[in-house]
Amino acid sequence: MKQILKRILVFVLFAFVAIQLYQPALNVDKGKAVTKDFTKFYKMPDEVKTVFRNSCYDCHSNNTDYAWYDYIQPARILVEKHIKDAKDDLNFSEWETYSNRKQERLLNSIKEQIVNRQMPLSSYTLMHRKAKLSDDEIKTITNWLKEQSKVYE
Amino acid sequence: MKHIILSIIILTTAAATAVSCKQSQNKNSEVKTQDSTAVSETKTLPLQDSATSVEQVIAPAQKTETPKAPDQSQSFSIEPIVKSYLALKNALVADNDQRASNAGKQLLTVLKNIDIKSIPSEKQKEYKEIADNAKENAEHIGDNAGKIEHQREHLASLSKDVSDLITLFGSSQKLYQDHCPMFNDGKGAVWISETKAIKNPYYGNQMLSCGSVKKEF
Repeated sequence: MKQILKRILVFVLFAFVAIQLYQPALNVDKGKAVTKDFTKFYKMPDEVKTVFRNSCYDCHSNNTDYAWYDYIQPARILVEKHIKDAKDDLNFSEWETYSNRKQERLLNSIKEQIVNRQMPLSSYTLMHRKAKLSDDEIKTITNWLKEQSKVYE
Repeated sequence: MKHIILSIIILTTAAATAVSCKQSQNKNSEVKTQDSTAVSETKTLPLQDSATSVEQVIAPAQKTETPKAPDQSQSFSIEPIVKSYLALKNALVADNDQRASNAGKQLLTVLKNIDIKSIPSEKQKEYKEIADNAKENAEHIGDNAGKIEHQREHLASLSKDVSDLITLFGSSQKLYQDHCPMFNDGKGAVWISETKAIKNPYYGNQMLSCGSVKKEF
C-alpha cells in the first residue's frame, strides 16, 4: 500500500515538473521598442506615468513585469493568453502607430473604464496590490486624460 | 528514498529531451494550427452573415448589388452604413438600449461585409482607418445592451466616423450634422441626422431638443 502511494506521489511530482518545461515566449521587449510608447508620446507628470506603468502596462504593453508565480505552469499559459487579448484591444507600446481617431476613442474608453472601476481588473489587483488605484489616483488620471482628449478636435 | 530521487531525475531529463525535441517541431505545427484557426474564423463569418441577414432586409439587397456592378468606383456605397447608423442613432434618441444594441450588431455586419477592393484605391487607406474605428464602436454598442451611457460614449466616436465617411464619399440622401455642446464633459459631440429637426441621441428624453445643426450634406 505504501509502495503504491509512493508511486502516485512520484507520478504527480513528475507531471508537475514536466509541464514546467512548456514555457512560451515572455512578453518582454528587452529595450527593443521601435515605436514611441504612450508615456513618451504625451507629456505627463511622473505620478501619472507611474500609475500607467504600475496598473496598466503588465497586460497592455509589450513589457510585462512578471510575478514569480507567473512562471509556474499552468498559470503561465493563462497569463500569456490574457496579455494577448489585452494587447489586441489596447497596446500602450504601439500607441504612436494608432490613428488619431483610434487614440481619441481609446483615451475616452480608458477614462470611462477607470472612472467606473472596471480597470484594472479586480482579479489582477487581488494579487498585484500596487496596481490598485486609490480615489486620488483615479482623479489625477481622469483629469489628465480629459486634458489630452482636448487635443483631438 | 534514493531510488525515488533517482527515478525523478531520470524521468525529468527524459521528458526534457522529449519536450525540447518536440518544441522545434511544435513551431511548425503551431503555424499550422494558427492557419487553421484563421480559416475557421473566415468560415464562421458567412454563418454570422446569414444569421443576421434573416433579421435585416437591407443587407441582402446591398449584397446582390455589389457583384453586379462592373465599374469598381460605383459599386461601393456608404448608404448601408448610414442606414444602420441612423437606426442606431434613433434607438438612442428613444432611450432604447436593446434596439441600439441590435442596430450596432447590424452595423458591424454591414462594415465587415464591405470589400475594401471595391473602394477607389486613393481612398482605401483613409476608409480603412475610419472603418476600423467604426467597427470597434459598433461592436461595443452591440455588446452593451443595458449600459446606455456606455453606448452613447461610443456613439460620439462613431458619429465622427460616419460624418467623415460622408465627407469622403458623399451621400445621395439629404443629411445633417448636428452638434450637442454638453456631451463628454462639455467637450461636445456631433451626430448625423436625416431630419432637420433636432432630436438629440446623447441624452434621449432628458434633453431631446438640445443641440444645433452644424452642417448639411
